[in-house]
Amino acid sequence: MNAKKISPIILKGTRDFLPSEVIQRKKIMDIIQKMFEKFGYVPVETPILCPAETILGKYGEEGEKLTYNFKDAGGRGIALPYDLTVPFARYFAANYNNLEVPFKRYQIQRVWRAEKPQKGRLREFYQCDIDIIGSKSLICEAEIAKIIVSTLLELGIDDFKIKINSRRLINAILKSFGIPDSKVTPMIRIIDKKDKIGEEQMVQELSNIGVENGLEVLSRLKPMNSNKETMDKLRDSDVSELETFMRYASDLGVDDKWIQFDPMMARGLDYYTGVIYEVVSENSSLGAICAGGRYDDLCSMFCDQNFSGVGVAFGFERIMMLLKERMLVVENKSCSNVLVTVFDESALKKSLSAYNSLVEAGINSEIYLGLDKLNKQFKYADKKKIPFVVIQGPEEILAKTVTVKRMDTGKQKTIPDSQLVEYIKGYYEAN
Amino acid sequence: MKPIRIAIQNKGRLKEESVEFLKSFGLKILNSDRGLIGKCEGQNVEILYVRHGDIPVYVQSGAADFGIVGANVLNERKFYVKKNKSLGFGKCKLVIAVPKNSGIKTISDLEGERIATSYPNSLKRFLKENEINASIIEVRGSVEISPLLGLSDAICDITQTGETLKENGLKKIIDIFESEACLIQNGFSDKEFLN
Repeated sequence: MNAKKISPIILKGTRDFLPSEVIQRKKIMDIIQKMFEKFGYVPVETPILCPAETILGKYGEEGEKLTYNFKDAGGRGIALPYDLTVPFARYFAANYNNLEVPFKRYQIQRVWRAEKPQKGRLREFYQCDIDIIGSKSLICEAEIAKIIVSTLLELGIDDFKIKINSRRLINAILKSFGIPDSKVTPMIRIIDKKDKIGEEQMVQELSNIGVENGLEVLSRLKPMNSNKETMDKLRDSDVSELETFMRYASDLGVDDKWIQFDPMMARGLDYYTGVIYEVVSENSSLGAICAGGRYDDLCSMFCDQNFSGVGVAFGFERIMMLLKERMLVVENKSCSNVLVTVFDESALKKSLSAYNSLVEAGINSEIYLGLDKLNKQFKYADKKKIPFVVIQGPEEILAKTVTVKRMDTGKQKTIPDSQLVEYIKGYYEAN
Repeated sequence: MKPIRIAIQNKGRLKEESVEFLKSFGLKILNSDRGLIGKCEGQNVEILYVRHGDIPVYVQSGAADFGIVGANVLNERKFYVKKNKSLGFGKCKLVIAVPKNSGIKTISDLEGERIATSYPNSLKRFLKENEINASIIEVRGSVEISPLLGLSDAICDITQTGETLKENGLKKIIDIFESEACLIQNGFSDKEFLN
């Protein structure tokens, strides 16, 4: 065999994950998924390969540029999902006759963006989305805020703010300054860049698109010290939507301290029409870790009926980075809590039986595959960070005992073999 | 008007003193034969006699307005009750004890050992705080005899005078925390206690 080897490379902005990382990620995904299920959301999946027209033309200029699209061998335009909201709106339009409306779904899938890869930005990454379609009630918005708070706290993130605003409100304010409808979307895109470009440049860019009273508009939109003050400042415009949302959220147990009403927060995507969210961790420079909002007209792009939807995406990769930075996830190279060693051929029967009783009791375990010296077996456990090792040599077998060694301390304990399962279960970190 | 309901122990070490405490507010508790609910002469107060561990459950659910319960019970499980005040009686300790001739002498000797207890959560917290990894063997009662039977190497239990420990050949090596009777109240209730 002398064939030329294929280089085992992967594409820029994509990743291979080692077991230790996948174990970590799955743990976190599980927490998020359980929380979604707690609030009554059900899972769906949508295709990765989509007709290009499903995906394109929904995200604004910037999003359009970042969408992967190509022609397949049959010349059809294909696009990969840029987010999970648009594919879901399409899914709902195609299937609503078979779904309970209002429909609450969660979806944890990969999405693709042709970004320049950098910290916290990959080309292929996971999003964890929840959406409710078919209800205009602001209870939906409040519930989503509640889920954001519950999930982040459960993950150990407690320095976040849910920035909220309303597209309806921004539109009304812009209108009150005489901004014509045609300039609203370009303006929102400029306002959305506020953290990147600063006020002066914003005013400049606004002027470039023919808005000369940019400074006034911006000062009107500037948030005050408290949600209430901001609300009061904007009371001439209709703030009742946000007020009702915040009242529902408060009744749902969402403390006002998590919420920050920021009239300048715009979310660049074109499809939002009502309340919008953006969640940031205050002591981190990662940017938004969750984002979402109300979209009234997305489904009607795919069907004749009109269904309003609202949802939020948890940026899984950024959340993982945050948790890692803060050591809120532990590294596990294996899922096993126990390695059952095999002393020699004659002890194998006992070892297999111990292994069986551990797994039958629901304790993640594995048996050493081979007849190597015990030291080598210990090294294997050490490498895989398996906390407990079970040893049954001739002495133990004779005395009907078993020795359990903790790999981190090296301490050994010999107990009656009938107590093995209870002994391991009794450790708080073994459960 | 609904009576004020106070839950106290139906039997056990806090019962007598709880009754005395209530009497000190001038309550005249009428003895009922089967004793689940005691009425009070001339006052709209009822005494509920329930299992010690259930007292916070009654109070949390609002079935009782107040309860008298050992801090050890509150420490073991999370209840949504307000602690009104400590009452100064029913003092006891949650301790770790080992057989007299045991090689276990300090906290760190507990590493890897088996500790029997009916207070698994309190013990777990204590071990975690002290970074000790040990196996917690949960038993409901008669904790003191478990080392003798080869079930455990140490026990974690409530003791008042230390007599029971001694009788079972055990000696205390660590105090985990001191407990006494507490007056508790429903988390949502702002009722005044007797005056």
